[in-house]
Amino acid sequence: MNGPFAWFKWQALFHDWRIFAEGFGNTLLVAVLGLLLALALGVFFGVLGTTQQKSFRGLNRVYVEFIQNTPLVIQVFFLYNGFPHLGIMLPVLSVGILGVGIYHGAYIAEVVRAGIQSIHRGQMEAALSQGFSFWAAMRYVILPQAGRVVLPPLTNQAVSLIKNTSVLAMIAGGDLMYHADSWSADNIYYGPAYVTVGLLYLALCFPLAQLARHLERKSEVSV
Amino acid sequence: MKKLGMIMASILLAGSLLAGCGSTAPAPAPSGGNSAASGVSADVKAIKDRGVLKVGVKVDVPKFGYKDPKTSKIDGFEIDLAKAMAKKIVGDPTKIELSAVTAKTRGPLLDSGDVDMDVSTFTITEERKKSYNFSDPYYTDGVGLLVKKAAGYKSLKDLNGKKVGVAQSSTSKKAVEEEAAKVGAKVTFQEFATYPEIKAALDSGRVDAFSVDRSILYGYLDDSTVVLPDKFSPQDYGIATKKSNEGLAKLVNDTVNELKKSGEIDKLIQKWGLK
Repeated sequence: MNGPFAWFKWQALFHDWRIFAEGFGNTLLVAVLGLLLALALGVFFGVLGTTQQKSFRGLNRVYVEFIQNTPLVIQVFFLYNGFPHLGIMLPVLSVGILGVGIYHGAYIAEVVRAGIQSIHRGQMEAALSQGFSFWAAMRYVILPQAGRVVLPPLTNQAVSLIKNTSVLAMIAGGDLMYHADSWSADNIYYGPAYVTVGLLYLALCFPLAQLARHLERKSEVSV
Repeated sequence: MKKLGMIMASILLAGSLLAGCGSTAPAPAPSGGNSAASGVSADVKAIKDRGVLKVGVKVDVPKFGYKDPKTSKIDGFEIDLAKAMAKKIVGDPTKIELSAVTAKTRGPLLDSGDVDMDVSTFTITEERKKSYNFSDPYYTDGVGLLVKKAAGYKSLKDLNGKKVGVAQSSTSKKAVEEEAAKVGAKVTFQEFATYPEIKAALDSGRVDAFSVDRSILYGYLDDSTVVLPDKFSPQDYGIATKKSNEGLAKLVNDTVNELKKSGEIDKLIQKWGLK
């Protein structure tokens, strides 16, 4: 029997499982650190987008529009091949973390902004009248309430972020997709390689997507 | 209960996916055998009936298969070879449909039937022969190294501890690995999907050398780079066809050998200034 899914190709894959495990580990690392960065950027710029100061809101718009309206592939390629010409040579995994972190940070900023704006402004006014500063009111009054609203869309962003780490394959990033490309490129056993890698991404993303659904249902009840 | 149903559904989905994959293995169609009447096998007949030969070629390898951005025309040694194949199979060298392939896409395109054959600097290896039929070699090249002039490397030996950029689905990695071991150098590899990406990585200093077959390297030579004198691990290029299309494979192989014998291939090699 021959064809893309011939059994001997599967056997070769099981034999070389360590290569895929290494890629899986790198993908996980980039996804976790990238997500932390995205959350930090997203919350910061999201809050900026709801302030009264025009310049802060402008900063939010520039970041969000610039990042959302250029392809992730170009941003990552620029970090990888453009920065060295400016004398900045980032290790490839950092390029990945920065790439997906900044990219999804822009989306999360919009999620956070929408979440904050969904909280009635009476809450902020009340907090300010009680002597809270703007940032303290955000921290203790608004964000805890907004948090519940934004959790489901945030989880969806996390899922997208995990999938988007596969952009690293383009820049020899050592992630799951790169190793699938590299391994299947040598022997052209691409059938088992991509099915396996697809299932591994599914194993990462599916539980998160389920979590998002679960949170969504819960927040419906509580509202 | 609902949750259980969800899990069941996803397992079923995954299962059917795998099962679907398994069944894509080609059924033993009578493609290999000759149909009695014409002496033409079914796979070749299908191409003749279609009246056009679909060939996967490189478009980023000057002198082999290169799309000139000014004229949008694809030209090169392998294109001429593909035309000779079209002449043999459908009787007209112009009845040909060229598809741009990369090292990564040429295998899947054969399997799916989007192209009938690949004439795409495709190196013959034992491992690859398990998946595809290869003709006898029509050209033999060696693997080489492109480096920045400024770096001052003189040979592979100087690349000890350096990073070498190679293309996915290329045999260069193995070749460099073996040759480096011989001269006592240790190198690491970064793999990219296309040659221009490797060149970009060389320019930005992400890799210290760009390694692929020398004929391909010369297409990327510019003022700031130099091809090292090292030439190793002869690479035999063959025309690849789908494993199950045995009639076609035989015809292709016979044609390659005819062209070799008649001196046609040597003429083409001269025409394109190779070697």
